[in-house]
Amino acid sequence: MSKATQKTHLCQYHKQNAKIIEFAGFHMPIWYKGIIPEHMAVRTHVGIFDITHMGRALITGPQTEAFLNYMTTNDASALTPLSAQYSTMCNENGGIKDDFVLSRLEQQKFLIVYNAANRQKDHQWLIQNSKPFNVKLEDASDKIAMFAVQGPNAQQTLQKITDTDLNKIERFKCGWTKLAGTDAFISRTGYTGEDGFEVFIWDTPTSNPEKAVQTWNAILKAGQEFGIEPCGLGARDTLRLEAGMCLYGNDIDETTTPLEAGLGFVVKLKKETFIGKDALIKQKQEGIKRKRVGLKMTEKGIPRPKQEVTNESHQKIGYVTSGTYSPILEYGIAIAYLSIENTTEGTKVLIKVRDKPLKAEVVKFPFYDPTKYGYARQK
Amino acid sequence: MPTQDYEIPDGLYYTKEHEWVSLEGNKAIVGLTDYAQKQLHEIVYVEIQKQGSEVKQFQTMGSVESVKSVSDVFSPVTGKISKVNMELVDSPELLNLDPYKKGWLVEISLTDFKNDLKNLLTAEQYAEHIVKLEE
Repeated sequence: MSKATQKTHLCQYHKQNAKIIEFAGFHMPIWYKGIIPEHMAVRTHVGIFDITHMGRALITGPQTEAFLNYMTTNDASALTPLSAQYSTMCNENGGIKDDFVLSRLEQQKFLIVYNAANRQKDHQWLIQNSKPFNVKLEDASDKIAMFAVQGPNAQQTLQKITDTDLNKIERFKCGWTKLAGTDAFISRTGYTGEDGFEVFIWDTPTSNPEKAVQTWNAILKAGQEFGIEPCGLGARDTLRLEAGMCLYGNDIDETTTPLEAGLGFVVKLKKETFIGKDALIKQKQEGIKRKRVGLKMTEKGIPRPKQEVTNESHQKIGYVTSGTYSPILEYGIAIAYLSIENTTEGTKVLIKVRDKPLKAEVVKFPFYDPTKYGYARQK
Repeated sequence: MPTQDYEIPDGLYYTKEHEWVSLEGNKAIVGLTDYAQKQLHEIVYVEIQKQGSEVKQFQTMGSVESVKSVSDVFSPVTGKISKVNMELVDSPELLNLDPYKKGWLVEISLTDFKNDLKNLLTAEQYAEHIVKLEE
């Protein structure tokens, strides 16, 4: 039996202002005004997302760094206190257990933020493998509220309600601060491709949501002059897709490896040991047979997950794992796994969109022009 | 009453799948209801069978897509597509903005409307159907 559907601190706000769906056991907003206006707000101004549904665990103890280096593919020892990294955990075959952001709070204290749908699985996996290490694991999901404030005006928005100089918190750095008087931990990370922050309000269970609600309202008020929009999971998905970021369960899972997924930059094969290392070394030596790529539609139509991809001679070469209409580009885009010989940029392919083969082309991530959109845009 | 949230003009015929039919002589103008467009939200792509295609009542004649989802469009009547609203190709948002006028989908030359009519709903019946769906 599944648990009753959970609600976040903002459930009243969402109920009054958004269309609600159930996602990973939570009542979550799918959109407020609409996916497109929310998406555009984040690309051009700023948006705020309630992402309290995500899983959060604290890992502490003298062997935390060694434990995390064993569990994850990236190099946890490269993290200095108050910095963060994107990483994955694999099974023995190199299949991805989950992808997440790992932050080092103190020398012997880390925070891992993983996917909502994997909360239990990840917690068990970490616990199960922690026995040889002197570490303590604590699922902190239910006592921390979490928001993402994303977009080119995210910094200006938060700067209005904090005394901390946000210029000093660079991309993938974190810090403790007060937001409108409430203690908060913030990290300059996100899932939209834009500059922005993820905000953690500690010690606020959903039974006592005041601090979370006040902070949410204070951010909305501060962002008003920049055109802030509350954003739902719909825009969160279209934004991450345009940026070429993976959605666990769609684009990556235990049957795909980080090398196939184009996440080689978070796999540090020089590390002494980690779960999945042997399988990944073997795959690297043999060469990957398929790879995750971006596809842009060159004729009208919107690709969707599980649709077949063929070459121009209609032979199957792969399948779509995520697809949507891109609000910025105004055409269909997809993430797909294709056999390696078809993954060169510019390769012309066909996607079977509702059984009709429609033309598409292999492109690189992000889908948008990174000089115009995203964190590296030229101002 | 939840139907107050949705426009359901009198004088049109409706299907349980949320298409509307406006009778003009032996032709029918067909579109999606206000309820349908509000459920779909932000329609970004419309695909309809070509002019001249034969369609049968309640069989698929195309699809509409919002950012997140795809939905089939069923023909509410039997006949031949005599006109397609080509404006929807470049402006699918007309389906959201004006579902009963500028957002019409196709015109169908009817072959057996008497029979079709047995399976269509009046505005009042359609309103009752919406009430049940919203419960």
